[in-house]
Amino acid sequence: MRKILFALLFVAMVWSGYAADEVIKVGWFGALTGDQAVWGDTEFNTVKMLFEEYNAKGGIEVGGKTYKLQVIGYDNKGDAQESVNVVRRLVSQDKVVGILGPNSSGNAIPIAGILEQYKVPDIATVATNPKVTVMNGKVKPYNFRVCFIDPYQGAVAAGYSYEKLKARKAAILYDISDDYSQGLRDFFIQNFVKLGGKIVADESFKGGDVDFRAQLSKIKASNPDIIFMPHFFKEVALSARQARELGITSTLIGGDGWPSEQLISIGGKAVEGSYIVNHLDYKDPDVADFRARYRARFAKDAELNAFLVHDAVLMLVDGLKRAGKVNGEALAKAFTTTDIIGITGRIKISAETHNPEGKDAAIQKIVNGDYEFIGKYSPR
Amino acid sequence: MDFSYILGILTLAGINLIAVLGLSLLTGFTGLFSFGHAGFMLIGAYVGVWFNQPAGGSPAGLGLPFLVGLVAGAVASGLMAWIIGKITLRLKGDYFCIATLGFGEAIRLVFDNFQGFGGSRGWPLTITPGPSMIWIILACDLVGVLFLANLIRSRHGRNMIAVREEELAAQIAGVNVVRYKMLSLIVSAVYAGVAGYLLANYLTFLQPKIFNLQKSTELTIIVIFGGLGSISGSVIGALVLTILPEMLRFFSIWRFVFYGAAVILIMVARPQGLMGGMELSPAGLRKARAARLARRAILAESEAGSNQGGRR
Amino acid sequence: MIQFLQQLINGLSLGSVYALMAVGYSLVYSIMNFSNFAHGGVIMLGAYFGFFAITALKLPFLPAFIVAILGTGLLAVIIERVAYKPLRDRKAPFLYFIISAMGASIFLENIVIATIGPTFKSYPPIFDFTPLQLGQIAVGRLDAIAFIVSAVSLTALVLFIERTRLGKAIQASSYNMKACTLMGVNTDLVVLVVFALGGILAGVAGVFFGMKYTVYPQIGNITLKSFIAAVFGGLGSLPGAVLGSLLLGVIETLVAGYLSSQYRDLIAFVILIGVLVLRPSGIMGKVAEDKA
Repeated sequence: MRKILFALLFVAMVWSGYAADEVIKVGWFGALTGDQAVWGDTEFNTVKMLFEEYNAKGGIEVGGKTYKLQVIGYDNKGDAQESVNVVRRLVSQDKVVGILGPNSSGNAIPIAGILEQYKVPDIATVATNPKVTVMNGKVKPYNFRVCFIDPYQGAVAAGYSYEKLKARKAAILYDISDDYSQGLRDFFIQNFVKLGGKIVADESFKGGDVDFRAQLSKIKASNPDIIFMPHFFKEVALSARQARELGITSTLIGGDGWPSEQLISIGGKAVEGSYIVNHLDYKDPDVADFRARYRARFAKDAELNAFLVHDAVLMLVDGLKRAGKVNGEALAKAFTTTDIIGITGRIKISAETHNPEGKDAAIQKIVNGDYEFIGKYSPR
Repeated sequence: MDFSYILGILTLAGINLIAVLGLSLLTGFTGLFSFGHAGFMLIGAYVGVWFNQPAGGSPAGLGLPFLVGLVAGAVASGLMAWIIGKITLRLKGDYFCIATLGFGEAIRLVFDNFQGFGGSRGWPLTITPGPSMIWIILACDLVGVLFLANLIRSRHGRNMIAVREEELAAQIAGVNVVRYKMLSLIVSAVYAGVAGYLLANYLTFLQPKIFNLQKSTELTIIVIFGGLGSISGSVIGALVLTILPEMLRFFSIWRFVFYGAAVILIMVARPQGLMGGMELSPAGLRKARAARLARRAILAESEAGSNQGGRR
Repeated sequence: MIQFLQQLINGLSLGSVYALMAVGYSLVYSIMNFSNFAHGGVIMLGAYFGFFAITALKLPFLPAFIVAILGTGLLAVIIERVAYKPLRDRKAPFLYFIISAMGASIFLENIVIATIGPTFKSYPPIFDFTPLQLGQIAVGRLDAIAFIVSAVSLTALVLFIERTRLGKAIQASSYNMKACTLMGVNTDLVVLVVFALGGILAGVAGVFFGMKYTVYPQIGNITLKSFIAAVFGGLGSLPGAVLGSLLLGVIETLVAGYLSSQYRDLIAFVILIGVLVLRPSGIMGKVAEDKA
């Protein structure tokens, strides 16, 4: 990994030195270490690869001048406070024009104040909690995202469970220390009950917990048709294993915190036959080209976040071109009218919410250790 | 090097200094080790912030001015210290240590579970722009050092040192040991509370896990590093151990490795820490010189003595 | 009723993991009279040793297990020589030992973060997780094995201490180290053996923990609970450590099951404070000597 980084650095230096062009500095931050490292890693790799590709073609043109793109990336260790720290560093010391990431809502919500203070916009990749862009009814002027939001995701999960999987009794196990998990659980409950379903167990744990058997025993006793697990893959794998060890046979369903190779490698047979609400179908022909390029460059498969940060990069470049100058405030303004086609679908940013409108969800099922696309689903 | 970046580091160092000064009183001068002082920082932060944050926010506060929040936080920490002290101060040495650890963690867990303040997900703060943080912190640092220095030099300070040196003897000599331990604990908690409140305002984000066991241990390590019983040692320790890791951010991952190794080294090789109980002040330097001369005199005399006669 | 029994089983299996860790604490405390906070770090490294033995050295489970526990036994001895022996020789106050222990624990956790990396690793699946069914109650296979191994290890330890000469020396030293030296006991050897034994137990605990819950540098923090269990049962008493651990595991699980899972960590610290304030010697501990 380190060799690739150094090689990249060398390549980037050579390329930038070669043309002695001006450089646009873009920030990225996410989890390069910790539980979600696999996602941060895939995001950072993608940004670097895409910037390389742009620079190889000569860079991008903004306001009549050509610029090379440079990414400055920091590890936030999956931690909210560290996110605040590194964002402060990016805007005050590195003076980036825009920031890509993070993938987690819990890390995206606290950075709004600094973004506003320094007037630098941020595009969150897979942060789905509504509070990332809209808090207390007011839109945050410098926060944007390229993914759908949890009210929608919760409705999809609830609708699919009720309508397609015919579940009438649902149990929930969620992470109370995480905005994403809490929010998704709230929206699932809202929608499932509205459809006529019943929540028979509502259990929580704290991020970092590794033993869920007390909660799972209660869930087992409530005899649910389906168990909703709106948290991240590491705890999903552990809790799924423990659930099976307790003899729970109910179907499991989760959100976009699930999909990762590690879910399968740790969860194994415990997660077999489970359903996931995801942002896209990995086997979609539109993404095949990107997947191939990623695989060729990094010798491993792209994870979910790669596709979304890819579109974030497209949104950034498009925004810069329309803004006409390398300035955070102008860039933010340009973002409010974004309308592009990315590999995850159409990204039309709403000026009121800074969220993309009308993105569909894809339902996947884990079959034989692989993510199989079942279909798109829209809640009624 | 960006000015605002340097300012940021100095701000953090200044905040740490306040907490370290308080802990120095408790550990360096009164001889009580605490592994739970982050808990007092937490109380000062949350109570102060609750008083200060606008009523329309989520979570909501009381909307009172910044200084009111500061005082509220400080008072709350002091109160908590009084309660904890009543329960734990009669425990001996390492049992007290463990009890502080227990309380520090318990406080953090209580706030983790209390959803009204955002629970473990945290509380993003709305900061009203005002006078720069750095001036407030410098003011607090100055007041903190002066107050501490005066306290140490006073009768109360001397009694605390007596408790540290030989508790039983101090008690026999008529010092109200429990009262002075309590005083020391409360003052150190107030300092920690102020530091916690300022930290929250600097970070613009509050979360219980900021004030975890690691933070408590960090504070104790700084005090030990600077040298027990030395205010200037604590000042130097706080500055060096906050600024250095920030400057060597590359090596920041090794910072705690260094801390751990340094602690073992200090305990094994030089438990008196950097300053070894000496102060970097005119009076302090004079005392150090006097001690050095005295040591030399004693050595010379014992050597001269052993040359006389065959007494082995 | 079934629910209660199931939660009881859950609590006991959690407690048996704590027990393995807590015995190490108590063992060292009984001899040295201080709480060896570095123990958590040793447990964590046990998990890592086992992991690398299986994945990097490609050993089958049993040899990897042996390698791991021998590794931790050695590590514990090294820590003793570096961080505690100099203090022992200098007759430093007990508080210094705790500080040094804290330093060692921070060092171990962070050197792993700095070198191997903070991202978790998971053991390749070795035991199947279809549960063993006792009527309506499910017991995990790995849990059952861990329980048996714990019981065997602890029995072996007790036999060693009660029946062998070295074991008797350890018992004697726990009462009065100085007198033992005068009586010709090689106290240095006693201390070494005690730490080695504690280290081996830590290795067993670490490997099973890693297998059940994945391997990560912060495992040492979980052992804070086992430390509380040791205090609860009475620092210095081995049966106390086991009893305290099982009780803590059950209480924690019942609180999580019947009250709210949010309080499971908090209850452990409440117990700690309660024990320290009301009965510092714990359930089965020796009466606390004057620490003036």
